[in-house]
Amino acid sequence: MAERIGVFVCKCGPNIGDRIDVDSVVAEAEGIEDVVTAKSHNLLCSEDGIRFLQEEIRKGGLTRVVIAACTPKQYEQKFMRACEGVGLNPYLLQMTNIREQCAWVTPDPAQATAKAKSLVRAATMRATLQEPIEKKEIEIHPDVLVVGSGVAGLEATLTLAQKGRKVYLLEKSPCIGGLGARFEEVYQTMECAPCMLAPELQEVLQKENIEAITYGELEGVVGSYGNFTVKIRRKARYVSEEACIGCSACFEPCPVEVSNEFDEGLSKRKAIYIPFAGALPNVPVIDEANCIKLKGGECNACQEACPFDAIDFDDQDRIEEKRVGAIILATGSTQFNPSSLAQYGYGRFDNVLTGLELERLNASNGPTGGKILLKDGREPRSVAFVYCVGRKEKGHCSGICCMYSVKLAHLLKEKIPGVEVYSFYTDLCLPKKEHQRLYEEVVEKGVEFIRSNGSERVSRDGKGLVVEYKADSTSKSLAVDMVVLAPAIEPNPDTAKLAAILDIPLDERGFFSEEHPLMKSFGTPLEGVFIAGCCQGPKDIGDAVAQGGAAAGRILSRLIPGEKLELEPIVAVIDEEICGGCNTCISICPYSAISRDEEKKVAVVDDTLCRGCGTCVAACPTGAARAKHFTNEEIFAEIREVVR
Amino acid sequence: MKTETDFQLKVIAFCCKWCSSAAADLAGTSRMKMLPNFTIIPTMCSSRVDPELILKAFERGAWGVLVAGCHPGDCHYQNGNYKTQRRIFLLRKLLSDFGIEPDRLRLEWISASEGAKFAQVVNEFIERVDELGPLKD
Repeated sequence: MAERIGVFVCKCGPNIGDRIDVDSVVAEAEGIEDVVTAKSHNLLCSEDGIRFLQEEIRKGGLTRVVIAACTPKQYEQKFMRACEGVGLNPYLLQMTNIREQCAWVTPDPAQATAKAKSLVRAATMRATLQEPIEKKEIEIHPDVLVVGSGVAGLEATLTLAQKGRKVYLLEKSPCIGGLGARFEEVYQTMECAPCMLAPELQEVLQKENIEAITYGELEGVVGSYGNFTVKIRRKARYVSEEACIGCSACFEPCPVEVSNEFDEGLSKRKAIYIPFAGALPNVPVIDEANCIKLKGGECNACQEACPFDAIDFDDQDRIEEKRVGAIILATGSTQFNPSSLAQYGYGRFDNVLTGLELERLNASNGPTGGKILLKDGREPRSVAFVYCVGRKEKGHCSGICCMYSVKLAHLLKEKIPGVEVYSFYTDLCLPKKEHQRLYEEVVEKGVEFIRSNGSERVSRDGKGLVVEYKADSTSKSLAVDMVVLAPAIEPNPDTAKLAAILDIPLDERGFFSEEHPLMKSFGTPLEGVFIAGCCQGPKDIGDAVAQGGAAAGRILSRLIPGEKLELEPIVAVIDEEICGGCNTCISICPYSAISRDEEKKVAVVDDTLCRGCGTCVAACPTGAARAKHFTNEEIFAEIREVVR
Repeated sequence: MKTETDFQLKVIAFCCKWCSSAAADLAGTSRMKMLPNFTIIPTMCSSRVDPELILKAFERGAWGVLVAGCHPGDCHYQNGNYKTQRRIFLLRKLLSDFGIEPDRLRLEWISASEGAKFAQVVNEFIERVDELGPLKD
């Protein structure tokens, strides 16, 4: 059956009307095959225009509509809704831009009119070939998995849970709170971090719709936005979370002592331990690599000491599957290990520390109860900070090291009266509205900033340390008791593993790659998988929290319980009759939206992941891949009419 | 100049929906003066522009084909424009085998704010293919 095409030319008041002979464009359209009505209107986007358009579609029984007007960016959606309103599939509408790309840029009216005619012919030929596209909607699971319980993960979890969402908060370590929970004071308010975080941590542990899974890892993910199935490994804790009340009776009798990684190795812990005083949940874990009993030896010390029978040496790892609609990765970052840069003496000389180690010395829940001490137990009389350690090697400014180094300098001055503090720096990065203030304060207090452009070398002199450096082209040296390095921030070692599990890209520095660095720094190319906090790149607490909230907000606004998820209608399809199974499309799809059907030996597009870019269509050697609404036939028809 | 008087000279400009189409709109909003011999065919991404579409345009008699996309790093589909770049690079090498001057195929990165660049690129390109004349049979 022949199509019934209506062509509508908008005058846009004088904008098109005065520059193009609209009547002759209408007359041209009338002459095109299958065009049953061609009319002009003074302003199609007006209420009157929309009514006129709808009336014409109804009256003429139109099966295709061509609108020659302004850029589709302006009113295409409105015209599509108008078509839909009178029962015409909106993808049977084709707009052609005779304003921005014709009337407004072509000085000669005769030429503009000729061009408009050509555009209308092309659009009409294209419209004939257009196919109706139905909106696709899928059922969804509203639950969410958040991986990582630092500030970004906490914010995301609470934002979601406060709206009633079920959230699985998965944490690799035995306690929640991330790095923030290990700082005493934070920039720039000097607020106590454990106090700042405590209410959030309590809420996470107590809220009914949050299931915090500590000492667990993400093992696998299948599915797509709205319908992921995630596989979680709950590592054997050997202590029952239900029975244990956190009385700590088990630590004392344990005969094993190992270095405590939660204190950056500055303290010892037992084989049964909690990471630090006040860690939540307050349930110990047995470290199976070091426990005598678990290594096959004879020891029951903790079991005998426990008044509540909470120790269970038969505990085993458990794999659990959860169904969720979306995933937020908030897996944080770590410090570049400065021992690979010999000039700083880190790992070779006592009292050369990293910023994080000094944070732990300063923390009241740390190895020294908050006293900043040298290895031999004395208070340092002089401390040198070295900024930008590893910046050149890692290739990025971590953006937070200047802040925490200034903060630590301030705390040193507060805690140790008369201590001399020097800061060797290359550039100072203190960009936010309050960040200069503390710097000015420490300068006032006598912290000396020395611009040495990365020339520092640390050596030992007797019991003390010497920093050799160049400033103002002169070689100088300075004797100090302690050196504190500010190493670059790098991704957590798990980042690459998680990227492989989820099939999401990493950036050149190994952080998760964001969907857009500015507009969607919390998104990934994989729909339904979000990133927040330092796993996307180094950032301060405030920025990490904001990203966590943004990711949660996106989920709350799109993944709604009881509602279906609307998918991008313009997607690619692969004709399995034509597909040769070469996998070219699979390898180049930027969204991993194409997979192989092993049985049929063909490629299949997942509608929930495809965003319709058409990359696969251009790459397909057999023509099996088609881009809906941008088919070869449709584009050929346009070309044919334009080049006549 | 021939372009002023007749419409034989036709240039097809494949523009991605995001950056380069927006630049074309901006050229219009800014009332740039442009030669009338170009027609934009929008695609979602420049990476949709199959070499087959370009060859079809030449086969039908287009004097030139412009492919415009987002700047490297700005692609709305991660990295589609890099794929476009590789395809156009190869196709330009092959064009002479078909007896088509490589200058008739041009790739440009034009951001949404570069209306003036869009107008300039299109005008220059039309003038260049005008010098080359119609395609030889």
